[in-house]
Amino acid sequence: MNKDKKEYQEFLFGPAHPGSGNFSVRIKLTGEMVIEAKSDPGYLHRGFEKLMEYRDIWQNAVLSDRICVFEPLAWNLIFAEAVEKLTDIEVSKKAKYIRVILVELSRIQSHLIWFGALSSATGFDTGLKIAFGYRDYILDLFSALTGGRIYPAGYICPGGLRRELPQNIEGRILKVLGKIEQAISYFEEEDPIFGVRTKGIGILKLEDAIRLGATGPVLRASGLKDDVRKSEPYEIYQEIDFNLPVLKNGDAYSRFKVGLLEMKESIKIIKQLLNKIPSGDFLNKKLKVGTTFNLPDKEIYLRNEIARGEGAVYIKGNSGPNPERVKIKGPSFLHLIPVLEFLLKGAEVADIPVIYWSLNPCPADMDR
Amino acid sequence: MKDLISKIRAKFGAEVLRKEENQFWIKVSRENLLNVCLFIKDNSFEFFSSLSAVDILEKNIIELIYHIWSKEKKIGLNIKTEIDRETPKINSVSKIYNSSQIHEREIHELFGVIFLGNPDLSELFLEDWPGPPPFLKSFDWRNYIREKFYSKGNKKEKGYFDNR
Repeated sequence: MNKDKKEYQEFLFGPAHPGSGNFSVRIKLTGEMVIEAKSDPGYLHRGFEKLMEYRDIWQNAVLSDRICVFEPLAWNLIFAEAVEKLTDIEVSKKAKYIRVILVELSRIQSHLIWFGALSSATGFDTGLKIAFGYRDYILDLFSALTGGRIYPAGYICPGGLRRELPQNIEGRILKVLGKIEQAISYFEEEDPIFGVRTKGIGILKLEDAIRLGATGPVLRASGLKDDVRKSEPYEIYQEIDFNLPVLKNGDAYSRFKVGLLEMKESIKIIKQLLNKIPSGDFLNKKLKVGTTFNLPDKEIYLRNEIARGEGAVYIKGNSGPNPERVKIKGPSFLHLIPVLEFLLKGAEVADIPVIYWSLNPCPADMDR
Repeated sequence: MKDLISKIRAKFGAEVLRKEENQFWIKVSRENLLNVCLFIKDNSFEFFSSLSAVDILEKNIIELIYHIWSKEKKIGLNIKTEIDRETPKINSVSKIYNSSQIHEREIHELFGVIFLGNPDLSELFLEDWPGPPPFLKSFDWRNYIREKFYSKGNKKEKGYFDNR
């Protein structure tokens, strides 16, 4: 094997590997064991932070979709909230309710992608088909609500929402939630092989999780009860009754389990809100979509809990229509570089895809 | 919390810029940055959220903003510090907050700031990038693309040179 008498072999996991997305890891192996892993990001670097300095608020609201392919609505919301706080725009209660419903739906569909990819990584391809099949019900809802299946084109915009809710959508959402509950019951069936492939694999202890900057489901699977929705409630999360699932083991299986329980909580949240959507404007009356306004010479740092962890933006205005500087912090930036490098060291080759997908990664929000 | 802020002010000469909801914005000198970070880490600020940089051409500085959170107190601290644009060097906080290492590596690549003591400042997103740090305000990417990829002599590409 080792023709040039090296003590290790080197190979790339990704970027064309079907299980890795647009991202690669340089891996050094001795025998079956990984001795060093180095993340190699940049395949999706589109320079959004710089691009946003050349675009006005409404253009940026649409651009914020593209930060993460798996959950554009969540990034829409972060950007809209940041602009609202900067310029003191008020949002009606109705818009807030709809925003939370949409973001939680987006969390569920993002978790479904996660489980599909994770089950594919453990060699169970049917799981991928089931998850993506059920995710499509939510995409149909998005299409009816926002006009786009994947990308809402800035549906959640500064000041509220772009369009009124379609009529009788509540019944449709409830029906879809029923379908998702069925999907969850499939994922809850304990498959022994899935257990063997994930239990005790990729253990991330709590002190390492905090040290390396893990957030969201990854952090909660390591045992810290922490969620921006609870600790610093935004929108109307302070009025909603929901639990934070926390597990202690910190392995791939716990991360999967936390995600599964989170989906149930999201369904609970949506069901609480559906019948109570108040009447009111969907968009602040002082605003008109497309009519630009100046950002004040102020700055803001705003965090939200999105499906993969803590997403944040820093926006600085300069009394002009375009922001002076935008910084986007995606949770996968930390999950895919320091955390992944740490977890892969000492792992077996066959576990690389399992560890990778158990972190719920999105290369798009890492590269930006 | 107010105790902590007044202590930081007294000990390290920090300037308190403002308070909004559960976030404080303070400004410290670059010499005191490490000491402030050490001090607040002992006071439960153990989660490093992010690091932003702003290039301010008029003042000839690069402003670095460290966003650090305390999960226990549910409070965020945004620490600002300024460095010179010509010699953008600052001590790395990666020994105190390990996760800041990757943020510093990113800022190094995009803004050219050198973080002294950071173990790995190799290229991150931009493989084999020959140009200047691309996120600096002085870097005109439109001009860069025109000069690098288009030619005035080409009929189809002439339009790129018209408006500016």
